[in-house]
Amino acid sequence: MPGLIGLLIPLEWTACTADTEHEGFAPGVASFCSRPLWDGAPVEINNQLFQAVIGAVLVIGFWLWMAHGHKVVPGKRQFFGELSYNFIRNGIARDMLGHEYRKFLPYLVALFSFILVNNLFGQFFLFMFPTFSKIGYAWALALLTFVVYNGVGIHKHGFVKYLKNNTIPAGVPWWMYPLIIPLEFLSNFIIRPITLGLRLFANLFGGHLVILVFVVGGTLLLTTTEELAGKPIWLLQAAGGFSLIFSFALFALELFVSVMQAYIFTVLTAQYVATALADEH
Amino acid sequence: MVLPSMSERGGSGEGYRALSMMLAGPIFYGGIGWLLDYWLHTSWLFVLGIIVGVAAGVYLVIARYGRIE
Repeated sequence: MPGLIGLLIPLEWTACTADTEHEGFAPGVASFCSRPLWDGAPVEINNQLFQAVIGAVLVIGFWLWMAHGHKVVPGKRQFFGELSYNFIRNGIARDMLGHEYRKFLPYLVALFSFILVNNLFGQFFLFMFPTFSKIGYAWALALLTFVVYNGVGIHKHGFVKYLKNNTIPAGVPWWMYPLIIPLEFLSNFIIRPITLGLRLFANLFGGHLVILVFVVGGTLLLTTTEELAGKPIWLLQAAGGFSLIFSFALFALELFVSVMQAYIFTVLTAQYVATALADEH
Repeated sequence: MVLPSMSERGGSGEGYRALSMMLAGPIFYGGIGWLLDYWLHTSWLFVLGIIVGVAAGVYLVIARYGRIE
């Protein structure tokens, strides 16, 4: 039950580790701990996995619902579905990938909608927690993109030519190669996927932490009944109220960051695929 | 939502790519310098490695994006 209660009571994530020094409210890394979905459930079956699965189900359901019963003259539902689909199709896939974009469109659409839904979980009741503020979920997506762009690159060029494409830059004299080849390798195969995952994780982790500080700290100050550090109670309560009001501005900011990060992740995935497919750069 | 234009969007991806090149230099050569320092009990190779790495990273970015097409 604790997991289900956690789903229903937003922001009441108390420490779930053995970290007993910071009990109760203090927001920190422990606020991101998962809790098992029911008593005695395996560690892996926790509320965060549960909400990721819900996100996937929502995404699948949305696109299935949007994809059926198309008419020549679109109704409202079909119009909205086509608008969402074309946003990725024309805005990202076709721009970045040129005439080969069709093959990668399903992956990009699924990626964008899955990240977007999971990010928005951070701003909406019932969940109040962005799934990708747990770094493991971000690594999984980055790894998937890593496999995809290297897979299509090797499939198109063959292993040796693909490696050559991505380690030997054009326009560099041969005697610079020993200096440059390790850098190109590191940049293309290690740093780019790592920063891809880190960027998604860090934006949501930081954003959620700031919201926790303002909401949880504001609540604590608003409901205080004793003086703190010599400040009168009314002042503390005023500060708490202000902090709670200001938290709505932060929620708005996080809403923007959520959309932005889903978009950036998809754009960069498309760009990595485009780089892998390019004949020479 | 206001969409960035086509060139701006390609630009952000290329920008992140340039950033990763600039990072690769100091990480790789700084790392080599740090390891050499560790083995040889010196202290200046790490700094030298970072400087060489930054220079190589800048060179790489210029070689890729500085060409007039």
